[in-house]
Amino acid sequence: MPENTGRDLLHRYEGNPILTLNDIPYRCNTVFNGTPVKLNGEYLILVRVEGQQGYSFFSLARSRDGFHMEVDPEPCVLPAQVEPWRVWEEHGIEDPRLTLIDGKFYILYTAVGRYGHRIALASTEDFRTYRRIAMISGPGNKDGVLFPQKINGLYARLDRPIGNGVGSVWISYSPDLVNWGKSEFVFGPRARYWDSHRIGASAPPILTKFGWLEIYHGVKMTSAGPIYRIGAVMLDKDNPARVLGRCLPPLLSPREDYERIGDIGNVVFACGAIVEDDGQVKVYYGAADTSICVATAPIDDIIVSCFSS
Amino acid sequence: MDRSSGRDVIRRCPSNPLISLGDLPFRSSDIWNAGVVRFGEQYLLLMTVEMLEGRYSIYRADSNDGLHFTVDAEPFMSPADSGPNQMYENVGIRDPRITLIDDWFYISYVADGDHGLRLGLIRTKDFRTVERIAYISQVDVKNGVLFPSKVGGKYLLLKRPDAGSSIWLSYSDDLVFWGGSTVVMTPRGRYWDSNRIGAAAPPIKIDEGWLLIYYGEKHTSAGPLVRLGAAILDYENPSRVIARSNIPILSPREKYERVGDVPNVVFSCGALLEDGQINLYYGASDSCICRGSAPLKEILRICLESGREF
Repeated sequence: MPENTGRDLLHRYEGNPILTLNDIPYRCNTVFNGTPVKLNGEYLILVRVEGQQGYSFFSLARSRDGFHMEVDPEPCVLPAQVEPWRVWEEHGIEDPRLTLIDGKFYILYTAVGRYGHRIALASTEDFRTYRRIAMISGPGNKDGVLFPQKINGLYARLDRPIGNGVGSVWISYSPDLVNWGKSEFVFGPRARYWDSHRIGASAPPILTKFGWLEIYHGVKMTSAGPIYRIGAVMLDKDNPARVLGRCLPPLLSPREDYERIGDIGNVVFACGAIVEDDGQVKVYYGAADTSICVATAPIDDIIVSCFSS
Repeated sequence: MDRSSGRDVIRRCPSNPLISLGDLPFRSSDIWNAGVVRFGEQYLLLMTVEMLEGRYSIYRADSNDGLHFTVDAEPFMSPADSGPNQMYENVGIRDPRITLIDDWFYISYVADGDHGLRLGLIRTKDFRTVERIAYISQVDVKNGVLFPSKVGGKYLLLKRPDAGSSIWLSYSDDLVFWGGSTVVMTPRGRYWDSNRIGAAAPPIKIDEGWLLIYYGEKHTSAGPLVRLGAAILDYENPSRVIARSNIPILSPREKYERVGDVPNVVFSCGALLEDGQINLYYGASDSCICRGSAPLKEILRICLESGREF
């Protein structure tokens, strides 16, 4: 491993980046921010592709080992062309997050339109047909991730509204995935820390024996622009608005050239993770808004990082 | 009438301001906006009072004639000062809007706390005891008004997320979980409402649909100019705007509207339709409560003739 990767808790895969625009079978600008699932031993990653037109959409990548990817010949979800969806997605769809509930895959993504960005919900059962369900937030909200099971009888999601100019993580609940309420603040930026400017949920929450493990992103603002890093927090199993522990240092910081150099340099941004049977976690992350990478760590190490404070 | 009030559609009450700081039975800093309702034979206001230390609470004021009010010595509702709601209200609660639905008075208000502004919803039958229902938005959302009846079997709420500064509509089966949010009206470039807009009074059912009195802000080098306008929304689908006034129905002109802690503001949280007349209660310069009136017909005409440029 190159020396400049330091001692980050997550270990970069030596073949990073695993997806670049050269792996996309059609012309595009960049590929980044992919969300993975493991289905019948196959890895599927729904990735955000930014077309050369300038707006984003989704493509599907497949892999046997989680590292070597093949991308389907055509995009799988494009911004909606028909109402009532079109107006909300006319500037693109971004940052998908996949969650499996009762045999159905739900996709939370950011819909961008003339009235701003908001969180949208779609579903698929076979990764061939995709069905839009609802727009589930007001404007100015993004980074929505759905919990993989109901909590106290209600669906639950984390998201990132902006209040007083500060981006924090909130939780909301729903009886039907369409109507949402009971919103509560969960955790916010920490002054002086690497996540002092704004934060947001990244991977859909992972249930561990200690509670819900949430892999999130934190932003520090510098005179040269933002630095995006990856962190972890443990939330209470029955009341996820309660934070049990939060990492002090980040799990991963931009260090490699492919993380420092790109359309938006100094960004590592996860949209999902796979927990393998042996306890290894594969975190899939977009690097510099230009490529997709993977980094791994034992889940126990990530859990310990939440409580090391 | 003072010539400076010009030809605004809303005619000011000659005894304005109706409630000033000196009318409160306690020391306070400011009087903000008030919701209004007919409660039995009474006119009842819920008004925002900024206390000297800077926090806001909601006070009740009663009147027999709608003009002369007595303000309670104790707050109708204070911000939560303990428990899980405290962080959402520790700056205060303000801007109550009252809507009567099926024997309950529902009051949407702005909760101001650690993480920004959000909408709270409570209800009461007697204006003495209060039942909290839920927070009905996340943060940086204000100007929530409930419709006075269900439409298509659902409760309806107008609100103003800061992102985009537009008026949105949301739907709910139970007043707790909300969805189907969509845009109703946006600010208009060049106009008096070019910077931001928000619902002011809860919508009033009229033959033509819903009358919405809203506020619009123009940004100037000296700060915002806050005025009131009107629009007619479709009854069945209130996200459809049938007509919108191109001119304000009330603009700050009188001294009590021009001079105060937040000058050049007229801002309403409630209006009554009585005998074909709209009686509008509004806060002026965040310092006093006033009233103005206009025939409903005149307001509708201004909405429907919005093509006129003068």
